[in-house]
Amino acid sequence: VRRLLAATLGILSAIGGFVDIGDLVAASQAGARFGMAHAWVLLVGVLGICAYAEMAGRIAAVSGRAVFDLVRERLGPRVALLNLVASWLVTVITLAAELGGVALALQLATGLSYLLWVPVAAVAVWLVLWRMRFELIERIFGMAGLALLVFAVALFALPTDWAGLGRGAVQISSAGHGWSVYWFVAVALFASTVSPYEVFFFSSGGVEEKWNVADLARARSNVLIGFPVGGFLALSLVAVAAVVYHPSGTSLTSLDQVARPVATALGGAGLAVAVLAFFAVTFGAALETGLSAAYAVAQYFGWQWGKRVTPREAARFHSVLLVSVLLGVLMLMTTVDPVQLTEYMLVLSAVVLPLTYLPILVVANDRNYLGDRVNGRWNNLLGALFLLLIVAASVAAIPLAIITRMGQ
Amino acid sequence: VRIQLARHLLDRQIVDVDGRLVGRVDDIAFAIDDEGFPYVDCLLTGQGALGLRIGGQIGRLLVAVADLFTDDPPVPPRRVPLHEIARVDSAVWLRCPAASLPPSPVETWLRRHLIDRIPGSHRASG
Repeated sequence: VRRLLAATLGILSAIGGFVDIGDLVAASQAGARFGMAHAWVLLVGVLGICAYAEMAGRIAAVSGRAVFDLVRERLGPRVALLNLVASWLVTVITLAAELGGVALALQLATGLSYLLWVPVAAVAVWLVLWRMRFELIERIFGMAGLALLVFAVALFALPTDWAGLGRGAVQISSAGHGWSVYWFVAVALFASTVSPYEVFFFSSGGVEEKWNVADLARARSNVLIGFPVGGFLALSLVAVAAVVYHPSGTSLTSLDQVARPVATALGGAGLAVAVLAFFAVTFGAALETGLSAAYAVAQYFGWQWGKRVTPREAARFHSVLLVSVLLGVLMLMTTVDPVQLTEYMLVLSAVVLPLTYLPILVVANDRNYLGDRVNGRWNNLLGALFLLLIVAASVAAIPLAIITRMGQ
Repeated sequence: VRIQLARHLLDRQIVDVDGRLVGRVDDIAFAIDDEGFPYVDCLLTGQGALGLRIGGQIGRLLVAVADLFTDDPPVPPRRVPLHEIARVDSAVWLRCPAASLPPSPVETWLRRHLIDRIPGSHRASG
């Protein structure tokens, strides 16, 4: 029973690590404007992140090294520094967007402006990272994140045309918005599914928990169950938005609109569960992005990092963590709309994707680190195909953003 | 035996005998023996050493940032003598604890001026 419990908790963490503000915004946006026409993007994204998280987990377990740790050895200090700066900036912007999501969820719950909640959310996130046993928090939020299932439940209470949803997922059309907008939304949704911080976090966490080869099977099953469940939650967000908003072609601009169909379908209780879910997934993701930003910097320079040592023994790591959280707060305090910030964050994430994923594929084939546990033929085929997609999304992201004026 | 220094040493993580992370091999210092042959003197680690190795504006920026967070700049690189190296694989493993090497000036500065002033800095969160 204990082992089963441990396995469940690991899966919960994986689910929590998968869904975040990016999915809330991108999935609902896609559903509202294009119906189910982006379902395949989620499917492909989940397949890809599973393949790469498995590689990153294997690298962590066999070599005891995290992803960013290896980037500098493989790319040299100059290119790796460029990679570091880009990845760190995108991760901090993601952190800001997640903090904005926490604050928006609190605004939905209390009616007080989200700007008042931003500093509160930031202090809470920092306190958890400074003081608390992180695994516990991660699991609680992973479990609370499952409350997003309320969207799947709402589908049954809404006048859902299931056959129509199915048709929409197979017969892809641009719903009169034009194909460039369709592809812009596809790139954003893809980026939200495979956010780089998920891999930094997953592999650094593995190193901190001292995974070895014996833990490989467990790590693998966490990913292979947790990420698809996360993908299913994102799919139910797409479907709810498709049922409620797609007929009129409404474009969503607030988190409030994302939650509203649940309130219509299930009443106040449903809304409360949805808001709890928003809070849990964004808070969990804020913890992970904050840590990931600091992991990346510390690993590049070789500083002591992690939560297992006292903060005073990892002073530079904790200073970077503090600065990253403060920067996130400052970004939000410019009163930029958190939903818009999320949209920009997704475009930038798409641009930097290859910087994270290419080194993983290279290292996963390096016998110096992995011995005979290097990638097999199928791993490499899947990895290479997915890398092509990532590069395509990365190259297309900015031109599409400009042509469509951020998907308008 | 010809060791490809750049490939096998540069940019590797340095780990002490207790598994603490000391830094990276940011540069390698050479010296010349009595007969005029160059030999590896010690490994250098620290942002300053890395900045000098990278060079250009980016390198100068790294050095400047390191100097900003220290009491008496310029920050000298930390030297790791070769006889402290136990083995080299995907990391450089030392046979001594990190405490027996000179401390990192930036780490010390940030600890004293920032982290130690926050309550709870002496307890790991696990």
